[in-house]
Amino acid sequence: MYNNVLNLLAILILISSFTLVANKRQNAYITTFRLQSLLLALISLIISVKSMIETKKFDEVIFIFLLIVVFKVIVIPMAMRKTSDRVEYKVEKDFFINIPISMLICCGLVVLCWYVVHHVEGITNPTTENYLIYSLSVVMIGLFFMISRKKALGQIIGFLVIENGLFLAAMMTTDGMPMIVELGLFFDLLTAFLIMGIFVFKINSTFDSIDVNKLKHLKG
Amino acid sequence: MFMSILKFIFQMFFLLLIAPLFTGIIRKIKSKIQHKIGASVFQPYYDLIKLLKKDLVVSSTSSWIYNVAPYVYFITSLAAVMCLPVVYQFKGFSFYTDLLVIVYLLVAGRIFMALAGLDTGSTFGGMGSSRELLVSALVEPALFLIIITVGANPEIASTSVFSIYDYAVKNSSSTFSTINILLFAAMLMVMIAESSRIPVDDPSTHLELTMVHEAMTLEYSGRHLAFIEMGTYIKQLVFMTFMANILIPVGLNMENILAGLGIYLLKLIIITFLVGFIEINTVKFRLFSLPNYAVIALIIAVLGFLTRFVLR
Repeated sequence: MYNNVLNLLAILILISSFTLVANKRQNAYITTFRLQSLLLALISLIISVKSMIETKKFDEVIFIFLLIVVFKVIVIPMAMRKTSDRVEYKVEKDFFINIPISMLICCGLVVLCWYVVHHVEGITNPTTENYLIYSLSVVMIGLFFMISRKKALGQIIGFLVIENGLFLAAMMTTDGMPMIVELGLFFDLLTAFLIMGIFVFKINSTFDSIDVNKLKHLKG
Repeated sequence: MFMSILKFIFQMFFLLLIAPLFTGIIRKIKSKIQHKIGASVFQPYYDLIKLLKKDLVVSSTSSWIYNVAPYVYFITSLAAVMCLPVVYQFKGFSFYTDLLVIVYLLVAGRIFMALAGLDTGSTFGGMGSSRELLVSALVEPALFLIIITVGANPEIASTSVFSIYDYAVKNSSSTFSTINILLFAAMLMVMIAESSRIPVDDPSTHLELTMVHEAMTLEYSGRHLAFIEMGTYIKQLVFMTFMANILIPVGLNMENILAGLGIYLLKLIIITFLVGFIEINTVKFRLFSLPNYAVIALIIAVLGFLTRFVLR
């Protein structure tokens, strides 16, 4: 039952990254990212509760759950929505590759991850292998999302999705990394997000749009 | 023999009885979330009864297809849902059938409806027919891939309904297996498209530019319309039963028939809530965005298919 539920949540995270690629609007990206983070938080909650029940000791992973809920589900999406409200928003095509083709490419990426992870020696447990495949696929899809979107906001989301994939990998294969590593990752993420948010404003005020393609034109 | 015929008839009436309920539940969920009181859950029943009492208005320019189509649609849908036993004890009475037969039964009804839409010569009817067939053609690859993936399990190795049911009953514990989850997600999207629900088609609108299924049935009234509505409810039930019994085979092996029926209803209600949740969170897509929708369903089904062969 426990493994079943974890498997379900991991696959839902993979499916949510597929829906992210299929989305067209910035607000939809943010909502999907929030949903994905919520699923990740649920996974960490389940892992921590299970280890607390088994060892009858306090487990630090519960802090990870709180951190994910506070930052990835509440603070970052809210800040992002604020950013997208403040920059000038024009409804225009935001992607280089159209959606059916990008879905096909993402499917290919998942197959690639299968191929790669299958040939890694030393993974004896097939469930671990599956989890590794899902999380690596999420990372790859995040990377693809980053390169396929024109707007800076979409690229930030891609970065955060990569981060989610890495978290998923760490959580599923090791039952939670040491607290200090996770904290380090989180602050890294937060600083990166803040810097990128400021960049978005700068790009917007200089070029009147957050389309990063416009960065190619020289100003002044 | 007599008992199985009795069970067969019982299942038919049971399904006819519960089919409109789920549409009522979806409407209720939607209005509750919009802070409205909403019509009763049984409103579709009242509508059907009212429609059955009303007179028929038949265009003088229409041919026999117009009169026959509602019955064909209703009967093919009913035949399709009868191919799937709702509880495992009900197996063995119906014809030895195949999942692909179910798909083609539904397609036959749909073709008749499309022809009837064209028959009266109104612009909306033709538009609705062409759109309906487009939607059907778009989701068909995903649907077939789902059926093939279910059947391609080496322990089943057939798309016959009964070998699939036998396997599902034996493996009631493998509910959340990777393949089943992926196929469930894909099937949910196919189901929404096939039963003309919100991201694909808005069943409550009568705005010319957005209608798909409604445009096709615009000319119908009275008894005919009641049969078409019932056919649509039953068609929705076909996909829901497929999802509930084959893709989440929990509680299929109940000894008690009533307990089995209860679990079946519970699963259907859970699926209904999922559909309602999707409906309140999305808007209807533009017609030209539908290929994107279909591709998502197809890709998720492809992932399931690949999982069957690669990830083991």
